[in-house]
Amino acid sequence: MNEIAWNNQGLGPGAEQDAVVRAVTGEIEDKGFVVASLDKVVNWARTGSLWPMTFGLACCAVPMIHAYMARYDLDRFGIIPRGSPRQSDVMIVAGTLTNKMAPALRKVYDQMSEPRWVISMGSCANGGGYYHYSYSVVRGCDRIVPVDVYVPGCPPTAEALVYGILQLQRKIRRTGTILRG
Amino acid sequence: MVDALENDIRATLADRLPVEFVRTNWNRELELHTTRAALPALMLLLRDTPALDFAQLMDVCGVDWPQRAERFDVVYNLLSLTRNERVRVIVTTDEREPVASVSLLWPTATWFEREAWDMYGITFAGLADLRRILTDYGFEGHPLRKDFPLTGFSEVRYDAEAGRVVYEPVKLTQDFRNFDFLSPWEAMTTLPGDEKVHLNRIEGPEKGSETP
Amino acid sequence: MSVTTTVLGEGPGDGAGEFRRTVQMDSHTINFGPQHPAAHGVLRLILEMKGEVVERADPHIGLLHRGTEKLIEHKSYLQANPYFDRLDYVSPMCMEHSFVLAQERLMNIEDQVPPRARWIRTMFAEITRILNHLLNVTTYALDCGAITPALWGFEQREHLLEMYEMTGGSHYHVNYFRAGGVSRDIPAELPEKILRWAAQFPAFLDELEGLLTENRIFKQRTVDVGVMTAEQAMAWGFSGPNLRASGVAWDLRKSQPYEMYSEVDFEIPVGRHGDCYDRYLIRMQEMRQSLRIIEQCLLKMPTGPVKMLDSKISPPKRSEMKRSMEALIHHFKLYTEGYHVPAGQTYTVTEAPKGEFGVFLVSDGTYRPYRCKIRAPGFAHLQAMEALSKGHMLADAVAIIGSLDIVFGEIDR
Repeated sequence: MNEIAWNNQGLGPGAEQDAVVRAVTGEIEDKGFVVASLDKVVNWARTGSLWPMTFGLACCAVPMIHAYMARYDLDRFGIIPRGSPRQSDVMIVAGTLTNKMAPALRKVYDQMSEPRWVISMGSCANGGGYYHYSYSVVRGCDRIVPVDVYVPGCPPTAEALVYGILQLQRKIRRTGTILRG
Repeated sequence: MVDALENDIRATLADRLPVEFVRTNWNRELELHTTRAALPALMLLLRDTPALDFAQLMDVCGVDWPQRAERFDVVYNLLSLTRNERVRVIVTTDEREPVASVSLLWPTATWFEREAWDMYGITFAGLADLRRILTDYGFEGHPLRKDFPLTGFSEVRYDAEAGRVVYEPVKLTQDFRNFDFLSPWEAMTTLPGDEKVHLNRIEGPEKGSETP
Repeated sequence: MSVTTTVLGEGPGDGAGEFRRTVQMDSHTINFGPQHPAAHGVLRLILEMKGEVVERADPHIGLLHRGTEKLIEHKSYLQANPYFDRLDYVSPMCMEHSFVLAQERLMNIEDQVPPRARWIRTMFAEITRILNHLLNVTTYALDCGAITPALWGFEQREHLLEMYEMTGGSHYHVNYFRAGGVSRDIPAELPEKILRWAAQFPAFLDELEGLLTENRIFKQRTVDVGVMTAEQAMAWGFSGPNLRASGVAWDLRKSQPYEMYSEVDFEIPVGRHGDCYDRYLIRMQEMRQSLRIIEQCLLKMPTGPVKMLDSKISPPKRSEMKRSMEALIHHFKLYTEGYHVPAGQTYTVTEAPKGEFGVFLVSDGTYRPYRCKIRAPGFAHLQAMEALSKGHMLADAVAIIGSLDIVFGEIDR
């Protein structure tokens, strides 16, 4: 049951996915409840509603907006951009991080509530990129905030960002949520 | 086109101001080199003479020439919509001597002059708001000067113990590779047994050993 | 600073049961940004407010200052080219355009650029203009509370970015314009794709205008907000759509034609009131005119080479390199040392989607620019923020920022 209900294989729409859904619904109709491990339920909830904060610093912000818009439609992953750090789970650092901006970025990160993740988008955020040797650019946003997923590219395509978000979901899934002391 | 403009400006000035006319770019652009003292009067004439009508100041910027006695050029790019022509006014200055601000003539000059101050350390007399504009809060130095290193002096990092972003001296894992392509064979690496040539190129030839 | 609420009179007023109180507030300061969805990037705005009314606006910029001008001084001309894509990252090719023209002017090779390359550049400059205006108009509507235009407009942008990708190989920062031409010829199927897109685009524009132009909410947010007279706009160094919205008929494509703009037929929309609504209208009209130019470019574009034949400036063909030693040497020299630009200085401008984008290029005769000052239109526009927003409500400040078409890549450089 656990195997099926979790949909580990990430089945796409079709007969196979229908079978999974039918199995879960059948289970509920039959018994009135579903047995699953709490860890996985929590992770399922988290991966299904990753709310990123819109942190468009530079060029990468444009492909990021493209990913939110009609064609790539991140909403279908439950990913809805939020304007406030207090409401968001994941920060997408999209663009060049400069020395002047670094304290503000850290402040925003500190304002986000746990659990929180960071996606570093684009060469500049990953390691300074084209501006690595500049006097005013932070050589990688991981000097300021801990980064979970790096998306390469200058700028990465919207597809690349979507792939990065899927990778983050995988990472969350394999994390033990409930800490044992 | 440039001829008519030059004649008109000459007629307006009537040798009252020390202005040197320079044509650049195969006679396509006109530059007026003037002195710091004459700058405000020249700018006022250029803007307010109906025949010239340079009502728009498009750009103010500095240029650094460290080998000169007065190392900075301040360059003003003016545009006249009625004449459909541009003119460039250039004055020189150094770190100390202020240039008269034109922000009273064109309010748009304020930010451009602030930028010139920020980037080169050129001071402007009469500019109400001489703050840094582009560089970091608390930045030291003027980054576009030729003697300012490309990577600067300090970099930032989040210090988990202090709980804030801290500034530290720059440490690079790999330096910027500044190839000198003026001599293609010595640019990339120093070949074994060739160190002397390489040194000469960087430090300049030793006295008396003029290499061809 | 402080907000004091003084209750002057409290209690029953004239009407029965009416409760009247007067609230007096002194001025206080609001920090807007740098992380704010409506700041269009990393603008930090210190607003001195009197109640809900803006008294003083002090934009703090430089939060995206990447030291582009310094980096350019340390790179060869060819290596410096991609920095221009990343300046105004909403209209990448138009930024390259100024730099490329400035180099060509200094090298005095303008008349050696093959006509096909110039037509391609003109066409892509206009595609880029539509790309830019689409983003601006739709996100502006988003700032004013309408989300649908953005969802529609970005689909059109995707089509345009596909054209970028087909031509330059990258979907965004293409580095396509080069001194002496363009980096490669457009693919054979591109014209047809553009025409197919162009056939449906006017209908899209009509729909977009149907959503916004007569929309009551949108008009309430924009009409008579942030008014700039023609004199003010000139004094503040405005250019592009913002200047034209104030009623100054000035467009570099008409008045100082570069590339092939003198050969195409198009009109310049000019506004009257200089408010946010006019700036929006101008951009909508400009998209239609750009479409006309694109179609004319496709019709008039001749066949032929797309870069200069002088192999001291433009790289040789790959096939030639396989056979000719000379071509191989040229290729090596061009991609290591690059070409030398004769000493001189020039201020070269193009009509970028946001306004006059100028490059003041000083060359000392070597393979690297000695000084490259980038004159960004947004820099001058943002400076007028105080003059524009004074006396307006806080929410209007957002509308004004959106209407000015601010992109921080070019302002902070």
